[in-house]
Amino acid sequence: MTSKRIYAAWAGIHFFLITVICLRGIFALVATDATILPSALNTSARSGEVVLASVLGKDLAASNPWRLGIATYLHAAGSQAGYGFFAPNIPAYYKLILELYYEDGHIEYDVPHVQGGAAALRLDSLLDRLADPLYEPLREVTVKMLVLSVWQEHSDVKKIRAIFGSVNPPNISDFEHGKRESFQPLFSYDFSLRNEENQSTTQ
Amino acid sequence: MKRLRAWGNDLMGFLFPLETDRWLTVLRIGLGLQVAVYALFLKNDWHYLFAGTGKGLVSRELGEAITSLDSPFIPKLGWLVALGGHIGVGEEMVLSVAWAGLLCAGCFLLLGLFCRPAAIIAWFLHLCAAESGGLLAYGADNFTTMGLFYLMLAPLPDRYSLDQWLVNTEPKDPQLLGFWQRVLQLHMCIVYFTGGLAKCLGSGWWDGSNLWRALTRPPFNIISPDILIRFKYVLPVLGISICLLEVGYIFFIWMKKTRLVWLIGILGMHIAIGLTMEMYLFALVMIVLNLAAFGVDSGVLFLRHRQRVRAVFPKQLSQ
Repeated sequence: MTSKRIYAAWAGIHFFLITVICLRGIFALVATDATILPSALNTSARSGEVVLASVLGKDLAASNPWRLGIATYLHAAGSQAGYGFFAPNIPAYYKLILELYYEDGHIEYDVPHVQGGAAALRLDSLLDRLADPLYEPLREVTVKMLVLSVWQEHSDVKKIRAIFGSVNPPNISDFEHGKRESFQPLFSYDFSLRNEENQSTTQ
Repeated sequence: MKRLRAWGNDLMGFLFPLETDRWLTVLRIGLGLQVAVYALFLKNDWHYLFAGTGKGLVSRELGEAITSLDSPFIPKLGWLVALGGHIGVGEEMVLSVAWAGLLCAGCFLLLGLFCRPAAIIAWFLHLCAAESGGLLAYGADNFTTMGLFYLMLAPLPDRYSLDQWLVNTEPKDPQLLGFWQRVLQLHMCIVYFTGGLAKCLGSGWWDGSNLWRALTRPPFNIISPDILIRFKYVLPVLGISICLLEVGYIFFIWMKKTRLVWLIGILGMHIAIGLTMEMYLFALVMIVLNLAAFGVDSGVLFLRHRQRVRAVFPKQLSQ
């Protein structure tokens, strides 16, 4: 009976943490006005999200054992994120186009690529994250690494301009009227590869 | 006080039902297949995805640094690379061994050979790859880690494993088997309820525009938009059906009369996601988790097994 109670207690804590993670995800969607719910609820949702974050120890110091313990456990259990895939709406699709400037003056275009379809799905997942304001501090360094991966295949390139933008597919009625997807640049970076200096511009 | 005790007993009865190990067989074989397919799908890109700075697509160290912001104790491939460095083994070799280890663990799980060590190794290596991938990870990784986490803790080996044939061990406690299946069942209910609720909060699932966007958005644009447009009146119905299937899962999957219908609906949805969006790994892991959680009881798999519980565990049930 004692071992049963231990199992039951573990299940209680386990599902409590998972429920908190999931509710936090839902509150975050409402707080950012991404749902069909009235905007009047945004503030309450934001407060709810903060409370749930504190349950997970997110307001504690980064080195706090309680916070580290919860985070490690949730990652180990594969439950560190909620389950709002493709929700509340389908996110935009993002593309990184690379303009390769060669020594002789000619320009070629390329994109970061992988061999298999499963890895391509992961590359798209990476590009989606780059558009997220949460990942803004990592954007430049990640783009730089993606550029570097392409540069290794084109060692005679003098400069690479990386243009990151969203691809806006037409809705059903626009498609019926002949409209096709359009590319909207969001920001670009110029990488001078010889001296490893780069300049960035944001649109 | 009496009522509280009765409520506690009911809860314990719910958490510890008597169950055979057939659901565990489904989970073991399914996740073994998932891990093996995961390794094979990434075979050509493995080093490119997980190499250090300047050698691959994005630096493995970057993904690991992001993971370490959450906690430095989360397993990652960098640990193995550092360990290899201490004994004079290079990064490339360590990554190759990790890939081979994952594939072998998947195959061992499929066969049911050294079930527990194989489940632990598969969980650990998959978690390392998912966490080191960081920015490259997506939903299928979380669900695979989740499934392997439960498999690793569940009472292995099951009766259909090679382990059981080689070393004839005592049958596992049916209540413990029931507990771990219950945990998986409850987790699936939370997954679909919150996923469905989040979808219901988006306008695009009610008018079909989200399905259109999902199916025309690269890299999921397998079906030509010209074909999709012919079914434009069906898209809102499908969008609402997905919302109802997911939100209703937590209620209707428990009822005997609706369980089979709901399970077939959910499995159909995942098969369609796999085929129309080429998300094979995501589809496979969701099908495996659903079949292990509810497929055995619903009659989709192992029809009539419920009647055999007593025949399999007469000793335990008589206590």
